[in-house]
Amino acid sequence: MSGSARGPHYWGIRHLSPAGAYHLLSLLKEVKPTAVLIEGPSDAGHLASQLVARGVVPPVAMLAYTEQLPVRTLLYPFADYSPEYQALLWAQRNGCHAEFIDLPTDVSLALQDLRRMPIAAEEAVAEADEPAEGMSFGLVQRDLYARIAELSGEPDYEAYWERCYEHLASPEAYQQAIVHFSSEFRDMTEEAELKSAPQEVAYNEIREAYMRRKIHDTIASGHQADRIVVISGAHHTPALTLQLPLMTDEQIKKLPRVPTRMTLMPYSYYKLSSHSGYGAGNMAPAYYELLWQSMQHGELEKLPALYLSAVAQQLRERGTWRSTASVIEGVRLAEALASMHGGSRPTWRDLRDAATVLFGHGELSVVAEALARIDIGTAIGSLPEGVSQTPVQDDLNRQLKRLKLEKYKSLVSAELELDLRENRRVKSEEAAYLDLNRSVFLHRLQTLGIRFARKGHVRQTDATWAEHWVLHWSPEAEIETVESTLKGETIELAAAYVIHEELLACTDIASAAKLIRKSCDCGLPQVMGQATHALQQLAVDAANFEQIAMTVHELSILLQYGSIRRIDTESLVPLMQQLFLRGTLLLVEAAGCNDAAAAGMVSAIHAMSTVAQEHYREVDEQLWTAKLKELAARDDRNAKLSGYAFSILLERHEAGEDECAQEVSRRLSPGIPADIGAGWFEGLSMRNRYGLLSRPYLWRELDAYISSLDDEPFKRSLVFLRRAFGSFEPREKAAIAELLGDLWGAGAETVGEALQQPLNEEEKVQLDELNDFDFGDL
Amino acid sequence: MMEMDNKQAVLRLPAEKLYAHELEALRAADQDTKPAGWQLSPRSVLTFLTGGEVGGVTITPKYIGNKRLIEMAIATLLTDRALLLIGEPGTAKSWLSENLTAAIHGDSSKVVQGTAGTSEEHVRYSWNYALLLAQGPSDQALIRSPILRAMESGGIARFEEISRCASEVQDALISILSEKTIAIPELGREVSAQRGFSIIATANTRDRGVNEMSAALKRRFNIIVLPAPSSLETEIDIVRRRVGEISASYELRATQPDEEAIRKVVTIFRELRSGVTLDGKEKVKPPSGVISTAEAISLLTGSMALAGSFGTGQLTDEDIAAGLQGAIVKDDAKDQLVWKEYLDNVMKKRGATWRSLYSACSEMNG
Repeated sequence: MSGSARGPHYWGIRHLSPAGAYHLLSLLKEVKPTAVLIEGPSDAGHLASQLVARGVVPPVAMLAYTEQLPVRTLLYPFADYSPEYQALLWAQRNGCHAEFIDLPTDVSLALQDLRRMPIAAEEAVAEADEPAEGMSFGLVQRDLYARIAELSGEPDYEAYWERCYEHLASPEAYQQAIVHFSSEFRDMTEEAELKSAPQEVAYNEIREAYMRRKIHDTIASGHQADRIVVISGAHHTPALTLQLPLMTDEQIKKLPRVPTRMTLMPYSYYKLSSHSGYGAGNMAPAYYELLWQSMQHGELEKLPALYLSAVAQQLRERGTWRSTASVIEGVRLAEALASMHGGSRPTWRDLRDAATVLFGHGELSVVAEALARIDIGTAIGSLPEGVSQTPVQDDLNRQLKRLKLEKYKSLVSAELELDLRENRRVKSEEAAYLDLNRSVFLHRLQTLGIRFARKGHVRQTDATWAEHWVLHWSPEAEIETVESTLKGETIELAAAYVIHEELLACTDIASAAKLIRKSCDCGLPQVMGQATHALQQLAVDAANFEQIAMTVHELSILLQYGSIRRIDTESLVPLMQQLFLRGTLLLVEAAGCNDAAAAGMVSAIHAMSTVAQEHYREVDEQLWTAKLKELAARDDRNAKLSGYAFSILLERHEAGEDECAQEVSRRLSPGIPADIGAGWFEGLSMRNRYGLLSRPYLWRELDAYISSLDDEPFKRSLVFLRRAFGSFEPREKAAIAELLGDLWGAGAETVGEALQQPLNEEEKVQLDELNDFDFGDL
Repeated sequence: MMEMDNKQAVLRLPAEKLYAHELEALRAADQDTKPAGWQLSPRSVLTFLTGGEVGGVTITPKYIGNKRLIEMAIATLLTDRALLLIGEPGTAKSWLSENLTAAIHGDSSKVVQGTAGTSEEHVRYSWNYALLLAQGPSDQALIRSPILRAMESGGIARFEEISRCASEVQDALISILSEKTIAIPELGREVSAQRGFSIIATANTRDRGVNEMSAALKRRFNIIVLPAPSSLETEIDIVRRRVGEISASYELRATQPDEEAIRKVVTIFRELRSGVTLDGKEKVKPPSGVISTAEAISLLTGSMALAGSFGTGQLTDEDIAAGLQGAIVKDDAKDQLVWKEYLDNVMKKRGATWRSLYSACSEMNG
């Protein structure tokens, strides 16, 4: 809407809109304003001049953050095709006054807290009479967008927007369309917004009154009204007319404020596409840049060919051959789609769909990566030297101070012992958990790859409350800190981001469990939730009993010791239950392995059993016991594992004397091959030996078995029995000898004495001969 | 005419006859320009397929699901390209192909059915050998394939289950699609396609690797993959419609399954198919077999037949459990485990409304 005869020229935009920037430039050329007023924080004047300095390459962002904790941030990202950015550039080149006119950041950040607060009590009561439809305003808005898209016959709102606005060729048509749309939309939603998000309405009211005041001040300072161009989001444009009341000095004084600081930071297209600070998202920053460049060169008709060739090129580079003929057909299909919607040019969506059909043969997955590279791209902005400190650096320094670690920020390495337990001798909570907080902080730095802290080994490995660190500052650490800026604005956010990325790349349950542990160490309960979720997802495909058992074990440890890190681990319970169930169901099948694999299985079964006992309330212990019984009774599984399972049952008094005697004689009956029988006994003897030693009937059965063997089977069983008893301690062996002595009628004491006698020569010779005995012959 | 008299008894009418009044209404109201050889404008074709109301006539939706896919299919035919519809069994490929052809060309009967026995003659032309021997090569002796006929009339030919034909038969299409002519050397002439000619082929994802299409042929098709229904409500809608139609035509003596039962079956199918619970919170293991919408429909009609013939005529949870067991557990040992895990980890936790189905299924699964 170019201004009326005497008033300023208002230019409504959508942030990050190439057409908005393009048409704005032609308006600026026509009007030749003396002042350009832009929606943006009015205290960012010094940054505005830095933004257009030589050496700045968009995407870049202005970042405002509170000086005090908790850190609140506001982000204003700019791409090359941001109308605001182009306006600043134009003003600088043409010696025109440029100014941001929105609320200063100290006010908007102070208001941010107020906006998040629940509505005051009496209003809440009033609301209760007429319950809201259960829809937040954001949902109402999204619903409206979806309906607009549907009515226009477009697949989504983005496509509607691009077709109906970005593709308009004349500045007047563009401006009329966008302002008309915005004011209608505003009228339509005003009431709903007032009802469900009154804070937002009030906030916009304040901003607009402030901006009007700023416009008024600019005119008062001597600029001719019709030589002023006001650039704002189209939503605000109708409300900026000077007929509406201005904000008075008194009102400005009353605005709440918190101290803030601002900095410029390099931004990336990836972040622009995923979490832009603006409501109006930008799903395809690199595509819009292509659009912007084509507009500038007056070559919009080439865009479809350019885009699809780029995608084909990407595919070829990654080894998927797609021909030029396919590109041509793709352009034709995209144009046919555009014409079906009465459009002049294909939209991004049309082009993507054409690429899917022609290059992906109907499968988006084939072209998804290439599309992401062309749509989002990997562009990262850059800033010349001499720009203010990044927020992460600030945060790091703040944390060092808070945790009394400042003296460790030196080039000489120093050691630090931490005791994570609550310190009960101090008064404040902060001091009581100082070491825990330190540990969390250092773990986060480690996660970020900032080489300031290295974790050393603790002598007492099981002490979950003790940690040993080596701290050492270096210039590299400084650089790594700056690099972390792109991952998040604070150490905490950046660490969360890194673990989140690792999670996305994580493919097995063991590493997922590790990530849960890591996020627990880093004091990030939310990420821990995500990691738990990821583990759950991976757990479905996990079919390896040993891996599952180890993961269950890991989870159980977290559950038992999570409290020392003051993190709620309740959410792990269902996951552990599920994995435990899976493990239980897999047990019998997995036990059908050879002896080499059985060693790993034994520790896995042990881990599961420990968990079953430790968490008998949470997990299905009965089913586990039932499966153990099944394994113990099965003859077609690995004999050693069956024996091991039986020993657990014995230990838990699930099998009594009769059953035990019966099972031993069944397993060790003469018909059974010696290696299987002895293997079973080996498994049985791997646990709780005192349990075995206190059951004489067991030895009776073993004795009967051995004496029933013929020579050949005896030799074979000897190998296994020797191995089984090899790990017994001398004391235990002596106890067995006494037991057997009892059985053979010699009496335990006599045998004991005989064993204590020193060897005589003859016996020595006999034993030496035995040393040469070669078991390999068997 | 005979055909008209028999209309009632005909088991299945082609789309252009079944929806003749809808097509008529669309034609009457059509104001947009029609591409050469088309009976309707692209927009009207879209309305015919996705439903709407034109001149007081309700157009029933023929394809319930992603409208964008239909747009892409129509745009493909607009650019004279051949269209290949790919999908799992039971994703309405042939149904879409038939209705597209009916709307654009008004005759969906020019069909080549791809089988292992399909030969190149079925794709191009063959001869009436008696005439050929008696008169030598002549137009009378020429037997035109559906594709040749479509070329001559500027219409659309359909090629069903293209991936079931041998590769060399498939490749006969390459020259037809790029040159848009078929040479008949015996008559010393060639047939060039009239404007409007195109081919819509369908292929089954499960046949992948049986007769893999050559890259050269693939390149000549615009390929659109038809997905399983995107949302629960869409799928429930499809299942309810089809179960209603089928039970009416087969006169099953059982009451229609209620909304709740359909919802449960569709929910189970969707979760097992996609490998994740509907709320996206929990992953589940998919079984080995196909679990398409079409399977859900036949499961429910099968359960109705059970209830009607051997039960009270009321569909019980036991009937549904029997159907589910048969549909899901195919490769028994593995699927049985998958099914048990799903029952215990997901269904058991769903609360009272699912309890009886859960018990019935658990009992059945053993």
